[in-house]
Amino acid sequence: MTAFPNFEWVQIAYALLTLFIVINYGMVMTAVVRKIGARVGGRYGIPVWQNYVDLLKNIALRSKISHGVMYYLGPVFRLTGGVGLLMFVPTIYGSEWHQNFSYAGDLILALYFVFFGTLGMALGAGESGHPHSAIGVSRGLAQVTMAELPLALGVYALSLQYGTLDITKIVAAQQGSIFNWTLFTNPLATVAAMVAFVGTMMRSPFDVAMAPQEIPIGPPTEYHSSYLALMQTNRVLFPVAKTVIYMNLFFGGATSWAEFAIKVFCLYMISVVIGVVHPRFRVEQSIRFFLKWGLPLGVLAILTV
Amino acid sequence: MVSPLLILAAGLGAAFLLGLLRDSSERMAFYLTVIALGFMSFVGLSWTVSLALGEAQPVEIYTAGARPPFAINLRMGLPEAALTSVVTLTGLLSAVFMRRDLMRLGRRAMAVLMVLIMALSGLIMTRDLFNLFVFIELIVIASAGLVLLSQDTRALGAGFKYLIVSQVISILLLVGVIFTYHANGSLNIDDIAATPMGFTGASLAIFLVLIALVLELKPFPANGWALDIYEAAHPGFSALFSAASGSAALFAVLKLFEAAGPDWAPLATGIGLVTFVGANILALAQDHDRRLLGYSSVGQIGLVLMVVGYGYDWDAGLYYVAGGLLISHAIAKAGLFWLSGLVKARKLSDWAALRQNPALVVAFATFIAMLTGLPPFPAFYAKWTLVHAMADYGDYPLIAIFLIAALIEAAVLFRWFGMAIKREAIRPLAYNLSHETVVLIAMTAGWALSFVWGAISGLDNLVTLVPLLFALLFLPLDILPARIKNVIAIAGLVLWFFLSKDGLDPLRLIFLTIMVLGGALLLLASFHAKGRRMGFYTPAMLMFAGMALLVTAETSFQFFAAWEFLTVGSYFLILRGHDSEPHALSYITFSLGGAFALLAGFAVASEGQFVIPLANLSEVAPEIAPYVFVLLAIGFLTKTAIMGLHIWLPGAHAEAETDVSPMVSGILLKAGLFGLFVLLMEMGRQELYGVDLTVLLVWLGAISAFIGAVLAAFQEDAKRLLAYSSISQMGYAVFGLALMNHLGWLLAMMFAINHFVYKSMLFLAVGGVKERTHTKLMYKMGGLITLMPYSFVSVLVGIIAMSGVPPLSGFGGRWIFYNAIMSTDLRLPMILIFMAGPVGFLYLFRLIHTIFLGQPKDELRKVKEAPFWIILPQMIFVAFLIAFAALPGMVLQRVDGYIGTLFGDRPLVWTGRIIDSQYGTWNPVAIWGVIIVVFVTVLLLLVWMNHNAQHVKQFNIVFSAERPFKPQTTHFAWNFFAPYRKAMGFLEMPVSTSFWTGVSNALHGTAEFSRKFYTGNGQTYAVQLMLFVVAVYLISMGASS
Repeated sequence: MTAFPNFEWVQIAYALLTLFIVINYGMVMTAVVRKIGARVGGRYGIPVWQNYVDLLKNIALRSKISHGVMYYLGPVFRLTGGVGLLMFVPTIYGSEWHQNFSYAGDLILALYFVFFGTLGMALGAGESGHPHSAIGVSRGLAQVTMAELPLALGVYALSLQYGTLDITKIVAAQQGSIFNWTLFTNPLATVAAMVAFVGTMMRSPFDVAMAPQEIPIGPPTEYHSSYLALMQTNRVLFPVAKTVIYMNLFFGGATSWAEFAIKVFCLYMISVVIGVVHPRFRVEQSIRFFLKWGLPLGVLAILTV
Repeated sequence: MVSPLLILAAGLGAAFLLGLLRDSSERMAFYLTVIALGFMSFVGLSWTVSLALGEAQPVEIYTAGARPPFAINLRMGLPEAALTSVVTLTGLLSAVFMRRDLMRLGRRAMAVLMVLIMALSGLIMTRDLFNLFVFIELIVIASAGLVLLSQDTRALGAGFKYLIVSQVISILLLVGVIFTYHANGSLNIDDIAATPMGFTGASLAIFLVLIALVLELKPFPANGWALDIYEAAHPGFSALFSAASGSAALFAVLKLFEAAGPDWAPLATGIGLVTFVGANILALAQDHDRRLLGYSSVGQIGLVLMVVGYGYDWDAGLYYVAGGLLISHAIAKAGLFWLSGLVKARKLSDWAALRQNPALVVAFATFIAMLTGLPPFPAFYAKWTLVHAMADYGDYPLIAIFLIAALIEAAVLFRWFGMAIKREAIRPLAYNLSHETVVLIAMTAGWALSFVWGAISGLDNLVTLVPLLFALLFLPLDILPARIKNVIAIAGLVLWFFLSKDGLDPLRLIFLTIMVLGGALLLLASFHAKGRRMGFYTPAMLMFAGMALLVTAETSFQFFAAWEFLTVGSYFLILRGHDSEPHALSYITFSLGGAFALLAGFAVASEGQFVIPLANLSEVAPEIAPYVFVLLAIGFLTKTAIMGLHIWLPGAHAEAETDVSPMVSGILLKAGLFGLFVLLMEMGRQELYGVDLTVLLVWLGAISAFIGAVLAAFQEDAKRLLAYSSISQMGYAVFGLALMNHLGWLLAMMFAINHFVYKSMLFLAVGGVKERTHTKLMYKMGGLITLMPYSFVSVLVGIIAMSGVPPLSGFGGRWIFYNAIMSTDLRLPMILIFMAGPVGFLYLFRLIHTIFLGQPKDELRKVKEAPFWIILPQMIFVAFLIAFAALPGMVLQRVDGYIGTLFGDRPLVWTGRIIDSQYGTWNPVAIWGVIIVVFVTVLLLLVWMNHNAQHVKQFNIVFSAERPFKPQTTHFAWNFFAPYRKAMGFLEMPVSTSFWTGVSNALHGTAEFSRKFYTGNGQTYAVQLMLFVVAVYLISMGASS
């Protein structure tokens, strides 16, 4: 087991615990966010347990169809992407329980593994043969090419700043005071990365890939029943896992689950708040947006570090 | 030894004897002619052999029993013997070739032929100026007579124009002879040499003699009169006119320039260079085969004239270089003219008729290679030596002009060859056994002389190299079925790998493995071919021979020769593709351009040597080192298709055959990368005008990586998409190399291995799909996943690997990349690389989606999986990719150690299966472990919940309560990234293509414009000639004062 240093079976249990907490947190948090959105809009909104109901409903659905092997595997790729991402990143700094399997790699692993689920799901959606799926994928991929750019530059700036690609070391360097956070030590990199964050959270103005009005729900159009259940699980898990990376890199990480819950919620709300007050961009508009705002910020970040 | 005088005596005697025969005994007359020519050839050859072997000494023959200047003397040394052999042998073969026409015209024509050959031999041997004049007069009259052999009605006009202009030249020569005698008191060439006249009061005398002789060489632009002859005369005579008359006249010029002294040498250099450049540019506009050959003759003779002027004091070196060029010209040009006799129609594309006879295609290729100066032919050695000498003298502009003109010539010739291979002939071959024999004798002579030139070169004798011989072995073996040849080829490659792998450093070993073993692996796909597959194995093996020799090359000469081999081999391979004619031409033009840059680079680096060990590149003097670096880098970057020099790649790779595309993409591109490795390893960082050239390379690599990816995303043709992707991937590798740090190099190595594997795999997969669907356009496909599952798997694995998504090996490349950029000061180029990464997803997703996913088309519902032999190597690659991704150390650890010895550092720590750097960790086994466990768990969960899912038919989708019925309108595929195009489409602007098209158009325009001088009017030609003489006189006198 040379590839798994200090491996103990209990790590699996710890990892499952992390997963359990994060999924449930995600379930509740996303529902709460929707509820807040509804109340702001003067509606009553959903109950906070609505996500659980939806999940059970989908699993219980009796009509199940398949368009082929890749279609079948799409949600598996998707959820593996979300779970894997969480597993490759330490969740709670200083906690032995929630380091997960972060020794498998570093920041680069996390950054590239983000695409694992996206790619797999896009392939699955492709096999369904629904044009809306393909249109959604085309838009999503086109947009993400530029949306990820500020993040890449921000991360480059920050790893130069800390001289490491190790997430734990980056979090460690931010401990001690709130002013040790990258947000304050390297605001340019943080802002650049947050542009990418907002750009990839699938919320308005950058949600043209899903575009509920024009191409009903985009890539997942053909997914239903347990497929959709897996994807729903991922939809609450993945944004949290991704937010954890941002939290670790730019906002000092979290030393406890409480800190985790607050920070993730606050970060998540950034994209929500921006989303509710902005109309949707077309793909070329968002690409231009990232080129005009994200890119210069990122360039400044890597030049000034 | 037989007296050389007998050559003249036999010629004259036979001519007189022919006069005594009866008109009706043409057969006997012909035999007499052939016997006499055979005897003359025998005398010439026996002298050549004896002199070359040192068994005989050069002789002076004094006529009339007196010494010069009171009588004429002739000389028979090695150059004279060799040239009389060329003249008499060409005469003999042309006589055989023209048999029917000679018999038709009878003994008089044969007598004229004998006089011509005799006079040409005399022109070569004589040492007397007036005698020279007499021989020229004889040649002119005999030539004019022989022009009339042709049944082409234009021949009469051409002959008449020739006579007019020749008389003007004769007058100039005669006046020059008279003045020279007046000034010098002797007409003996050696006496003139003893008291060179230089630019004294008597300069006009020697000028007139020299210019008259030069005019005999038909210098550009005063040569319209001669071109009409090439065009209209009998091809047998044109062969003589070009090969024999040209060589003899050139030797006369050489004698006189030697005698005139060094002051006059620049005249020959200048006129020669102008002629070489002008004739080749004009040849661009030709589509008449014989006129093109005429221009090519003029150009080649111009080149040798330039060498005569340039190397007047090289002694033996001059004869080696000029002789190599001249002999290549003579054989190739005679051979091509003879070949033109077998082709009935006169357009270049009509040479497609040659395909009826593969031996003639080989001959055609041989002649073109000889003219272009490709290895292993004599002109190759000559060109190598010439450029090195020019570099030694510091004449860099001259090198540039010479190489550019040579490149234009190569483009002209290969365009023609491409037409012959790809077009359809309107008329069949005029088959004739004796004609074919004559052509094949010329070809054999070409190969034999390659051996001779190699043996006396003092360099490696290329024609004896085992890999080359192995490639040539497939010429006779071509009658065997393709499968047997494939077994032999694979066995040969594997054997060569094991023979040559020992003693190589790990870097070279990896390149050798990719190039030779990788080649063997890809050849498995060639088992798919049925029948004989003529003309595939020789080029393929030539390419692999080049690559095998490249990796093991130790000297600049070996390296360059190997480079040319692989370039030519791959050209022939690429040309085999269905629509690849223009792309193969663009490929060979760019590749030879790159090769010439290499040649110039090596020449500049050699500093007076004719060959240097590659390791000596590190010792080049600092003031020239940056220039050497730039030249070599241009050569290598052309091969890796860096943005700007890339326009040849998409077509060449996309239009090649199914098993050829992976060879030229997966393997051949690595040759450029290997070159860059060698270059950077030996020369390191270089600065030019304060710019660090490696930084420039970093930028070029980054730009290629990004733009290549963007362009790939916009392609509709699957193979073009992969081709653009190669540009992008090679950009990454160049970028990594140019970072000039340990991890950058490891990154480049990782890309070299990965790119070989996944690009070979993807090209095979897409090629397999094309075999079944008969299209490369992705939007015409769709939904093939169930019909071609293995191809799908290989594309799936390929795109995951290429995109860098964990757990496959592309991620390793990305991880090394990030670690590499952490240790460099360059920041801005990274932006482009960061942008290139996600854009890669665009084209990769498009590739797999539009082919395999979405809606299947009605006409493709019954396609089968790709053939077994195309799938097999793909599955091997899939297995390798997975193994390499889990255990990268099996390949990389040794390379890492070796690169460590170069840079003196050790940034990576290999502990078991874990790789640690100063910045982070890469634990491939753990990555695999986590992903597999999670994936399988989720899958089992889904199966548990969803095991009873019902498989539905096509179109059973949620479609606004309607059911679509046409896959064409439901499969979202064409212009897949329309939104991206809206935003980033400006990057598609064909800047490079426009630039190179502009260059090409400018050259063609110049050619079209210059053609206007060739009015076809004899009087105009005579006036042009006089103006030329006056202009040259004024320029040379002006230059000397």
